Amino acid sequence: MKWAEWIRAAEDPARVSEKPEALDDLLVLDASHASFGAFLCGTFLAELGAEVLKIEPPSGDPARRWGPPDAALEGEGLAYLAEGRNKHYITLNLERAEGRAIFRGLAERADVVIDSSPAGHLDALGVGYRQLREANRGLVWAAFAPDGQFGPRARERRPDYDLTNQALSGMMYVTGEPEDERGPRPEAVPTRMGSWISWYAAGAWGAIAVLAALHHRRATGEGQLVDLSGAEALMRFMGLGVFRYEVAGFVKEREGLYESAVYPYTFVRVKDGWGFIAGYTDPNFGAICRIMGRPELAQDPRFATTTARTTPENQAPLREEIERWSVDYTADEILAKVLADPGPGVVVFGRVNAPTETLRESHWWERGAFRRLQDPLYGELLLQAPAWRMTETPPRVKWPCRPLGYHNAHVYQKYLGLGPSRLAELKAQGII
Amino acid sequence: MPDPRDPEAAPSDYFDWTARLLDLGAVPAKPEALRGIRVLDLSVIIFGPATADFLGELGAEVVKVELPGGGDVTRILGGARTFWKNTSPFFFPQNHSKYHVGIDMHRPEGQALIRKLAARSDILVENFKAGTLETKFGLGYRQLAEVNPRLIYVANTGFGQWGPFAEGRASYDGLAQAVSGLTAITGFPGALPTKIGIYIGDWMGACFAALGVLAALHYRARTGRGQFLEMAQCEALIRAMDWTWVHAGLTGKDRPQTGNRDPAFSPSGVFRCRDGSVAIVAATDREFQGLAAAMARPGLVEDPRFATPEARHAEENVRALEALIAAWCRDRTRAEVEALGREHGFAAARVMTAGDHFEDPHFRARGAVWELEDPVYGHLTDYGPAPKLSRTPARYKWVGPPVGMHNDYVFARVLGLAAEEIRALDEAGVIGKWADRLGAKPPDGWAGEGFLR
Repeated sequence: MKWAEWIRAAEDPARVSEKPEALDDLLVLDASHASFGAFLCGTFLAELGAEVLKIEPPSGDPARRWGPPDAALEGEGLAYLAEGRNKHYITLNLERAEGRAIFRGLAERADVVIDSSPAGHLDALGVGYRQLREANRGLVWAAFAPDGQFGPRARERRPDYDLTNQALSGMMYVTGEPEDERGPRPEAVPTRMGSWISWYAAGAWGAIAVLAALHHRRATGEGQLVDLSGAEALMRFMGLGVFRYEVAGFVKEREGLYESAVYPYTFVRVKDGWGFIAGYTDPNFGAICRIMGRPELAQDPRFATTTARTTPENQAPLREEIERWSVDYTADEILAKVLADPGPGVVVFGRVNAPTETLRESHWWERGAFRRLQDPLYGELLLQAPAWRMTETPPRVKWPCRPLGYHNAHVYQKYLGLGPSRLAELKAQGII
Repeated sequence: MPDPRDPEAAPSDYFDWTARLLDLGAVPAKPEALRGIRVLDLSVIIFGPATADFLGELGAEVVKVELPGGGDVTRILGGARTFWKNTSPFFFPQNHSKYHVGIDMHRPEGQALIRKLAARSDILVENFKAGTLETKFGLGYRQLAEVNPRLIYVANTGFGQWGPFAEGRASYDGLAQAVSGLTAITGFPGALPTKIGIYIGDWMGACFAALGVLAALHYRARTGRGQFLEMAQCEALIRAMDWTWVHAGLTGKDRPQTGNRDPAFSPSGVFRCRDGSVAIVAATDREFQGLAAAMARPGLVEDPRFATPEARHAEENVRALEALIAAWCRDRTRAEVEALGREHGFAAARVMTAGDHFEDPHFRARGAVWELEDPVYGHLTDYGPAPKLSRTPARYKWVGPPVGMHNDYVFARVLGLAAEEIRALDEAGVIGKWADRLGAKPPDGWAGEGFLR
């Protein structure tokens, strides 16, 4: 059988539920609060099968309301609705001693605690890692804060926002249009990435560190503290920044449509919008010229070598040459030409898709990258699926977020034997 | 009384305790989380090598296989301007502490060596075009799972191993940004499309891939079963677009570009100061009160345009507020605005440059900016591991030595070959080392120290 057929069957999105889950022996207490990075750490573990108890104060996690201001569903912010998948929702008031006693009871049997309260806050309440590791030697505690749990700025306890994390990471400084001879323009400024990328990075790094720590625990029985910052999670992706600053005093500036390392690697106008085109090695650039019907461009001294093409003054003229051709064709027409080219060389091309255009491409639906859920509480929901395709333990979405305290009865009965009347008392006292 | 011999014994102050618990100086003496796990890295450029690197910084032994001579193409990327000590440092950020071997995979004997390495590895990372290792080299998942059913095989591509776009369609990071929808939700309406200034699909995709590998490793520890796992760069970015999809599903509409305003939080934005830019978010009532106090305009919180979060989200009110904040920032420094944020409890953060990172004592103390004494290249500074683990901290030991630097170590230590067998493979051209040219060779004057010979 051909590889593509075999792997398609082995990863078949329609048969995910027939297979086991990788992490279904883990119990995670997600006590994240007003931090989507910490929240996503629990989400990723839940997608991979862990039992994640999301703990909120009786007033709810502020992140529950986050999303676009013009759309919410049943009072839930759209971000929380999309990313709260597979978790069990319980309420617990950690500001009260009785609430902390219950938290301690859960943490004593948990594998992982996720914490994004201001650094040291739970410690001051007597239910931080320092105290709970005494009762649970194998506990892995993942603490999220923009400035971390140690270091000169850790005491500042800055609020955790994606925008400020992106600013600190260095990514924002190198993203966007450069200032040029046209003078200051509102869009020629350091620019944020449109989605909460520092929080995705923080959540993924958090889950990586948690699973590595659990690997160590398997051999030794020892848990540990994991300290995570959304700013540093993105900073790890910054490549050579500090290296080049030290050896050459060089600070990379914004390049907009251009690229100092590889070129062409840029956006061009097409008949029906914008496309992205790249082919920076000689054979690949030759293929672009051939597809454009301009083979002589590959010999033009301004563009004939990778060095010539990455020379700043040659980049704009080369883009203009490509765009003079591309504006006469739709993105689909150009892609068809690219795919029909026999080589040598490979051209990379695609349309700049609006999200609703991405949603119209069958590729993602066939692969299960999106999922339409029919949810009894929230109705029909379109969600992005987990990013991994796995043959033995495929991740999955079982339910979207749930209302505040939705799983209280089940979780407190299961773990602490608290029946309905005791739960009602705790609720009346403002503990749950 | 705390035991003075116990490094975790508790000073009463939390931050004094964490400073000791996570002390960077204690890292080398601590164990590594993934010790004993071997990763066979057959990948090039960033997406694959970073996946292996993230496992390596947590202690896995990563054996990177490259073609003798030039090796990974990233060793010569970056242009003539960036060569340093005969190498392209573009290779460094995704190739720390790896064991570098040169094997000619086009030769049957080379394929046999890789099969043997795979039999003794826990994880394999590749980023060839879908199916290439199987059809061209006989080293695909189906073949290698026969010699090692415990193997966790991770394959990174642009579009995935199967599906309409998977065959014949090439991808780069910038393309993934475009087709995922990320470009359309980034930047300012009406302006040129915004390319993210780093290869975000490679790095974020690698981060997801490493996470999937560790979940598979957890499952294997319970069951003994390996598996195949794939990560598509476009799907990694689709995954990381928060509420974009649920919003499109409910409204049928695309979320608009909002420039530097995070539409979930108001006010939020990036404002120019005297010495650079600063990002500010003051979304809750309390944070907004803090901002108003910092601006010495406490009346703003009673202004009906700004009194509630709902009012602060109305377009004309946000614009008015942003104009006030912009005017307030203009004559201040980034440090002044950050200090006022600290004092008054709203989020303010400077837009940092690489130079800011390098000079920053906080990132130094945490190892987010990492200093390394490398056996080949000497002293250098790099961005450090992202998570800080108290018992098994992540770390770098060396960075990006030339192709084949560890041939002797790996073939003797991992495959158990005798010196004359290694010599015979070398003479037959099955294995090899670096070519004597820029981008491939060691620095001039390097005496060969630091490696098993």
